[in-house]
Amino acid sequence: MHYSRAHIWFVGPAVLLMFVILIFPILLAGGISFTNYNLGNPSFDWIGLENYDKMFSRKTYIKMIWATATYVLIVVPFSVVIGLCAAMLLNSLRFGADIYKTIFFLPVMATLLAMAIAWEFTLHPTMGLVNSFLANGCGGMREFVLGFHWLPWVNSNASWYHIACENNNDFPFWLKDRGYAIWTVCFIGVWQAFGFNMVLYLAGLTSIPRELYHAAEMDGAKSTWEQFKLVTWPMLGPTTLFVITITTIRSFQVFDTIEVLTKGGPSKSTYVMMYAIFEKAIQQNLTSIGAAITVVFIAFVILLTFFQRYVIEKRVHY
Amino acid sequence: MKNNHYIGEGWKHAVLIIGALVVLLPFYMVVSISLKSQQEIQSISGGLIGAQEVQTFPVCTKMGMSEETCTMKPYVYNYWFAFKKAPIARYLLNGLFVTVSIFLIQVLIALPCAYALSKLRFYGREFIFSMVLFCLLIPVHAIALPLYVMLAKIGLVDTYAALIIPWTISVFGIFLMRQFFMTVPDELIDAARMDGMGEYSIVWKVMLPTAIPALLAFAIFSVVAHWNDYFWPRIVITGNRDLFTPPLGIREFRGGVDSDEFGPMMASIVTITVPLVVAFIIAQKRFIEGITMTGMK
Repeated sequence: MHYSRAHIWFVGPAVLLMFVILIFPILLAGGISFTNYNLGNPSFDWIGLENYDKMFSRKTYIKMIWATATYVLIVVPFSVVIGLCAAMLLNSLRFGADIYKTIFFLPVMATLLAMAIAWEFTLHPTMGLVNSFLANGCGGMREFVLGFHWLPWVNSNASWYHIACENNNDFPFWLKDRGYAIWTVCFIGVWQAFGFNMVLYLAGLTSIPRELYHAAEMDGAKSTWEQFKLVTWPMLGPTTLFVITITTIRSFQVFDTIEVLTKGGPSKSTYVMMYAIFEKAIQQNLTSIGAAITVVFIAFVILLTFFQRYVIEKRVHY
Repeated sequence: MKNNHYIGEGWKHAVLIIGALVVLLPFYMVVSISLKSQQEIQSISGGLIGAQEVQTFPVCTKMGMSEETCTMKPYVYNYWFAFKKAPIARYLLNGLFVTVSIFLIQVLIALPCAYALSKLRFYGREFIFSMVLFCLLIPVHAIALPLYVMLAKIGLVDTYAALIIPWTISVFGIFLMRQFFMTVPDELIDAARMDGMGEYSIVWKVMLPTAIPALLAFAIFSVVAHWNDYFWPRIVITGNRDLFTPPLGIREFRGGVDSDEFGPMMASIVTITVPLVVAFIIAQKRFIEGITMTGMK
């Protein structure tokens, strides 16, 4: 260690920027959320908790919280589990793993906005490959598999697939239908995110010592499932924790797909928080309510990360 | 037993191939539409590349060009028209300029700070480090609104500066570099001091070269994030096309699925997505390592 005055010039700019760009805006958002300030207005009044009151009572914002929660609670578990399964499958392959890895990682690299538009076309009711694939499969193998006719309790004349075929190929308008839009957007979210989780899990898997599997075998854990339960899953604890946290934070911030595909609709079914901030504060110039949403949003994210870092972390490390 | 193994391997490949097809589906769709004619797109015919029949394009003749210049194969038309309709090259250059500037400023600010936090002893060091740890919890997108208000107040909306300023401080970069510098032996720095090097030259001539692997990982992380970022540019660039980054350019093209010509639109998407995807495929090992390294901290 060394004493010098150089540190002032080394840490000075960073500290200043941290304060101006990261910490001050939080305080500013907090301040604005207690006013009726709108960007461009010369003056404002303090209105206390009115903005927060609106947020937790008006229908629009209740829907916003629902949509955000649905998105996060679907995308996180699915992308984590699929990521883990893909990693384990790839890890056990004899050949070809690298090709799959590249393919599964492509959505992580590609501009999400562009891919959202690509999905819009893929899922388009008349021009999309998905619905034409479904329509061409009426009465055939596809109907049998995707209509779940192979399950003994499904009446093959009453399955969703069969009904759609009967009604002149009335397959879902994936992004325009209130009943489907949020699930479609979630699907795109999972499609985009699981490759990232897979890569993190692959790194986690390679760091598990081989000896542990031998030891587990000695102890009688013969089947793959038992070995997974006894060795793989516990050893991946820290990876899983990290993967869940980062996917959650990213899912909270979903915006690109919503803005370009649904604009929060139909009837606010995909009205997630980031889009709400954008629409209210930037497009409609309702700065103060946007600030209130921002504050709630930041509180969520910070609490969540804090919880991960200091509470659970202690339990998963060996 | 051996046979069983092969069956198992076959099943795994079957599952993975289905997965790969789903993952690749939208990529196939974009490339295919960017090559085909409007009629083929709407009737979902022609497979991947379409029949490529030479034809005259009415949208083109309406723009006042002669019939001769407007007669060509669909794929030529789509790409030609995409470049004709929007300054795609400009968008790409903007993207390059913004991402490179962000990365360079981030390094310029984070590297000395990380060095000071790991190798110098001074009053308040612990406090500053805990400030870094706290700031790691703040996603910049979440505070976009107050940042936007601040930039609007000082009149910086619709400038390059607005695209760059919020990203100049990367606490994550500081954290990553600090962790890396902790592993650099003190003797190396002491030797440099013996040779009469000042603290500034130590940062740039001794520490920087040792940090190349970490820097490379950070560069990939930073460039990918900002090249693809749509939210922030969407907020601060309100109308000036000269400042559009690639995602904003794509957005502009999408005048609505039911109104526009799809071929040129998809051609623009291909053009704008290709640089990063090709870079990834060429250097995928580095990319994946970089993302994992920065991901796992």
